[in-house]
Amino acid sequence: MTFIAIGIMFFSLFLLGAFLWGTFNLFGVINLAREKVEINAFLRENLPQKQVEELSEKLMSMVGVERVEYVSKEEALGKFQEEIKDAPSLIEAVKTNPLPASFSIKLKDGFTSPEKVEEVSSKIKIFDEFIAVEYGESWIKRLDRVVKILFLFDMLLGIVISFASVFVVSNTIRLTVLARKRTIEVMKLVGATEKTIHAPFILAGAIEGGIAAALSGGLLYLIYQISSKFFVEFYFPHDYIIAGTIFFGVILGIIGSKLAVKTTSKEMKFESPNV
Amino acid sequence: MIEIRNVSKKFKKGWYALKNIDLSIAKGDFLFLTGQTGCGKTTLLRLIYMDIFPDEGEVAVAGFLSTTIKEEEIPFLRRRIGIIFQDFKLLRDKTVYENVAFALEVTGQSGRKMREKVMKALTLVGLSHKRNDFPYTLSGGEQQKTAIARALVREPFILLADEPTGNIDPEGSEEIIRILQDVNTAGTAVLMATHDVDLAKRMGGKFLQLEQGQIKKK
Repeated sequence: MTFIAIGIMFFSLFLLGAFLWGTFNLFGVINLAREKVEINAFLRENLPQKQVEELSEKLMSMVGVERVEYVSKEEALGKFQEEIKDAPSLIEAVKTNPLPASFSIKLKDGFTSPEKVEEVSSKIKIFDEFIAVEYGESWIKRLDRVVKILFLFDMLLGIVISFASVFVVSNTIRLTVLARKRTIEVMKLVGATEKTIHAPFILAGAIEGGIAAALSGGLLYLIYQISSKFFVEFYFPHDYIIAGTIFFGVILGIIGSKLAVKTTSKEMKFESPNV
Repeated sequence: MIEIRNVSKKFKKGWYALKNIDLSIAKGDFLFLTGQTGCGKTTLLRLIYMDIFPDEGEVAVAGFLSTTIKEEEIPFLRRRIGIIFQDFKLLRDKTVYENVAFALEVTGQSGRKMREKVMKALTLVGLSHKRNDFPYTLSGGEQQKTAIARALVREPFILLADEPTGNIDPEGSEEIIRILQDVNTAGTAVLMATHDVDLAKRMGGKFLQLEQGQIKKK
């Protein structure tokens, strides 16, 4: 019976761990996309060097700005030529440099939502030195929508998996509790307190949860190793996933057995063939 | 020590298992509770060890009142009462000694004092020589004696016995009752429920007859 309980918990924790791992990777991808959010502010022609430097400092001191990078006309042309290198005729057509110098402005975490980017860019627009300020508005809005949907879906999935795990584990442990029904009955009969009756079951639940968690954490790590070697290298934060799975395992074991033994003990009236 | 005041207990659809029961049990009493199966004997015992509670009236046991007792206080009431059943309720994976010691262990007792108490209880029921046997190797009478030793090891003020001879042959039954009488002589009150009126009469002592949830004869 103990093995069945550990097996079921192992399966539930494997699902939880895989979910946790998936969530880490999902947010890794989202962060990568968010890092790409930047504002490009294009400068008027022939501004004196000193004015450009002052402007850079002003931008740096704005709320939400993490980094300001100056892109000169030459660098802009170099980048453009790099981008169109597959079309040599276009390069030939560009005899003079039509591209303006610009500032590439990186924003801090927490300032990458469409509203915040809009706010910062409208403040930048106030400066006369700029001819245009762009930040890929529609792309940011789309990213934001996708992130919100993914986050909601991830949360819902997490809640469903957690509740399902507690429910399944509690019912499995209930079988082990019922197998020791007579012991509980006798304990109640001779005046053991609920705490004394619950303690061994909760301890066993915690140990079983820990064992199941170690096994499922090990399996997840093995899958990570195999997939890194032969397929894709996923992001696998060992500490968080292993510690998280063991934490969930022990908690799952404790909550599961507490629920199981409480229900069984409450329902139990002394069985007797008499009335 | 036990006061049952105008107690009624209803089960499904308003059917009364007990109706307007008044009863008081004093220290050193030996009382047979007789009546046919279904007359409310077990219900009355369950009210005393507070496995169930009355719908009307009040039960007072050793200072605990059914109307005010908290759930976490019930174990402390049970420690003052010994209870035995028709089906013995022994743990199959424990020896006779361990079954008796279990009653003390679950309340945190251990060591030499506990061993002495267990042996004293086993000697009282005449089972000290079988202390290392498992319940399934014993006769019905011996199993019930083990249950009596477990109930007595805490030195309760009363022993509640619910059809203790129901699964035992007539010879064994009389032996069990004699042990209960000895226990009573030593100062413990005994309330024994049995449907066997003849046995109760044969063994002597006071008896109380229940019929359809009401006291018929005192």
